[in-house]
Amino acid sequence: MKPKAAFFDFAGCEGDQLQIANLEEDLLALLSQVDVVSFREVMKEHSDNYDIAFVEGSCTRLQDEDRLRQIRKNAKIVVAIGSCAAIGGINSLKNYKDLDGVKKTVYGENARLFDSYAARAIDAVIPVDAYVYGCPIDREDFLQVVKSLLLGKKPDTPTYPVCVECKKNENVCAFERGQYCVGPVTRAGCNSCCVNEGTICWGCRGLVDNPNENSHKEVLIKYGQTVDDAINKFRLYFGWQEAKR
Amino acid sequence: MRVISKEDFAQFVNSLIKDSSLNVMGVKAKGDKFAFGPLESASELRMDYDVTLLPPKKYFFPQRETLVTYNVGKSFSAKSPSEIKPMVLVGVHPYDIVALLHMDEIFSETKSDPYYFEKRKSSIIIGVNIQKMSKWCFAPYMGSATVEYGYDLMLTDLGNRYVINIGSEKGENLLDKYAKNVSDALARDTQLVGQKKREVMMMSQQKLDFPTELIPEMLTKFYTESSFWERHSEKCLACGSCVLVCPTCYCFDVKDNPDLSLEQGERVRIWDGCLLEDFAKVASGENFRATRPTRYRHRYFKKGKYLYDRFGFISCVGCGRCSSNCLPNIANPVNLFNDMYQESVSSGQVTTVSTPEIKIQTEGNIDYVPKLATIIRKQPMTAMETLFEIKLDDGSVLGHKPGQFVELSVFGIGEAPISISSPPSKKDTFELCVRKLGNVTTKMHSLKIGDKVGIRGPFGTGFDTEFLKGKDLLFVAGGLGLAPLRSFFNYVLDNRKDYGQVTLLYGCKEPKELLFADELLALAKRDDVEFKPTVDRCPEDEAWTGNTGVITTLIPQIKIDPEKTYAVICGPPIMYKFVIADLKKRNVSDDHIIMSLERRMKCGVGKCGHCQINQIYVCKDGPVFNYSKIKGVPEAL
Repeated sequence: MKPKAAFFDFAGCEGDQLQIANLEEDLLALLSQVDVVSFREVMKEHSDNYDIAFVEGSCTRLQDEDRLRQIRKNAKIVVAIGSCAAIGGINSLKNYKDLDGVKKTVYGENARLFDSYAARAIDAVIPVDAYVYGCPIDREDFLQVVKSLLLGKKPDTPTYPVCVECKKNENVCAFERGQYCVGPVTRAGCNSCCVNEGTICWGCRGLVDNPNENSHKEVLIKYGQTVDDAINKFRLYFGWQEAKR
Repeated sequence: MRVISKEDFAQFVNSLIKDSSLNVMGVKAKGDKFAFGPLESASELRMDYDVTLLPPKKYFFPQRETLVTYNVGKSFSAKSPSEIKPMVLVGVHPYDIVALLHMDEIFSETKSDPYYFEKRKSSIIIGVNIQKMSKWCFAPYMGSATVEYGYDLMLTDLGNRYVINIGSEKGENLLDKYAKNVSDALARDTQLVGQKKREVMMMSQQKLDFPTELIPEMLTKFYTESSFWERHSEKCLACGSCVLVCPTCYCFDVKDNPDLSLEQGERVRIWDGCLLEDFAKVASGENFRATRPTRYRHRYFKKGKYLYDRFGFISCVGCGRCSSNCLPNIANPVNLFNDMYQESVSSGQVTTVSTPEIKIQTEGNIDYVPKLATIIRKQPMTAMETLFEIKLDDGSVLGHKPGQFVELSVFGIGEAPISISSPPSKKDTFELCVRKLGNVTTKMHSLKIGDKVGIRGPFGTGFDTEFLKGKDLLFVAGGLGLAPLRSFFNYVLDNRKDYGQVTLLYGCKEPKELLFADELLALAKRDDVEFKPTVDRCPEDEAWTGNTGVITTLIPQIKIDPEKTYAVICGPPIMYKFVIADLKKRNVSDDHIIMSLERRMKCGVGKCGHCQINQIYVCKDGPVFNYSKIKGVPEAL
């Protein structure tokens, strides 16, 4: 019997599910291994009978928690996909601002009709079995995690930073190009895709387990960033993780 | 020496490129930096480069390389070497040539790595003397700014022409076949080459304050200066950049990569680095080099001491790549060594030159392809441990010594080192006692009788069964430590008359965690073996008539003749030092204590670097050690 999989979205752009919908021929191969019973982006059917739940998006209101708990109850395995679900993501930027102000900006005069609280990763609410990091997720990495789960092994999630992949890919370091990145404290697994294309690492896969944040902030400042710039670099994706630390 | 005009040299390179039987790689610009890459035209070549981002090592020991392909239940097979085209590397600097010579020795020690050497042997190296030196380079101090061998051809730029040193017949043939208008160099040009090489020796902007030969001994004196290492590594990002760009770093990890059928896949090796957090972590979660300062120190020791002791060279060629890639600027060996030297001088420590005793042996090739084997018996022992009886499908005998281990493969999951639990007297099959901990062992528990696994080995040193004949043996096993000891213990029982008194002390946390309970029960009935079990604690609802307390509480209870007794120990890492201390109290001397150690043994053949404890490779020099040999090895216990 093939395991049944379902996809769910919370506060997020659904870009991670789009990555999965775009797997092309790999999607067919994947469907020979799992039955998808719920996937809003590609099908209209839905079932609450599933083994693996893929959850995208961060938890940003109290009501989200009930829905997450229900998913946890239904599923044998819960996988957080994408930065918002896995590490809080850029939604956590609002956590640095006054909540009422944020609501007013988003909902205008109807703000009082909407609930909202500090954005958080879904593991702040329910236990999570596996993570696919990234904004958006990397398709190869997603497949690696899924294959691992199907084979009954712990996914191979790097504990080292993006620099490892940058070096292997023989990239010219962003700092050497006069740019600034947070690759040295960001979890690898993306094959340094952004730096490969000549840009920088924004940190979308979140902090490594034991980052040397102080040292890297010093590096950013040494290379000419202001203290505020350095802090902002860290806030873009690391907000929820930093608050937790 | 020969000479060729630059135009004719470009023609030479272009005709190499035109020959489709060759892969021609050269140094090209990459942004403001340089990198080796496939050449499409000689005009891309930048022989005036300072240093490349990655060393040419990547062509012989690639970032990612398939070792084995597999098909579940059917077979493992090695990657076919047929796709290898002879490679010509154009523009290799002398320090990178020296680095390749180091790699040659490292990859041929004990057993030769076929994946590395099949590429290395088919390649042609065209070197070039350094014209511009990177500001981080200190090759002149490491004796690698110029080189007399290790190349097929070596070029020196003399403005409108290159002087060519011929280093091999292969190089000469290449020149004869593809180059036009090559003439013998005139005396004047020969002199100019000498002058250029002398200029290179003066180019370094780095300055080592003392003779390089002092490094190994100076490091030794600084090993325990933990504040020194903490201070220097405080800013370490543990990003591994320093080791990943290093031309002499060779550590790798091995992973299984199944395709979406989940039935087929490949086993790959990928670059790893000892600075990375999980480098020495084993499945139980124990990390044998958990802190940044210890990993940082390990890198310097590996380069400046451990490999020196093994091979007689400091495994650093002074290319400066580590320094230039370290954002917090703490990886520059010159700075660290100078600081160390200053502190040595101010503390009055006189450093001397050490001469290592080098014993390198090479015998055959490493086989990364496991043998297919079948699980023929599966006996659950506790909630966590199961005993598997395994038979090799080709009908061969494993042929192990007690104390050795195998690399156990589960298709698609990976490989894990497992000690052999059965004595060699059991011939057709062997037994592995497997604790459910990591990926491989967890999956192993879900396999059934008749399922296929892979086996490589046996690896490592075993117990010296011959030497120990006639001696009294005191086995001290903690928890899963009984598994490797059982191979020897049962061997002794099979040859009982050859050995003196035999005692087994065995401890685990609770009665329900006892391994091989039936066998142990049978021991109690024998009068030629003394058996004393203990548990740390016994829950109220379980029956236990034995000792309660940690294993060391048994040691005062037994008779020991320090002259005749050899203690054989295996258990969790924490156990060793307490057991040793109590044995010492009973006057057992260091060389009468033998132990088996656990580490992350990935390749099994002393190549991948993961199981290293200081200068020792546990997989190859161990896992069985005499305490007198490793008590001075700080990372051992």
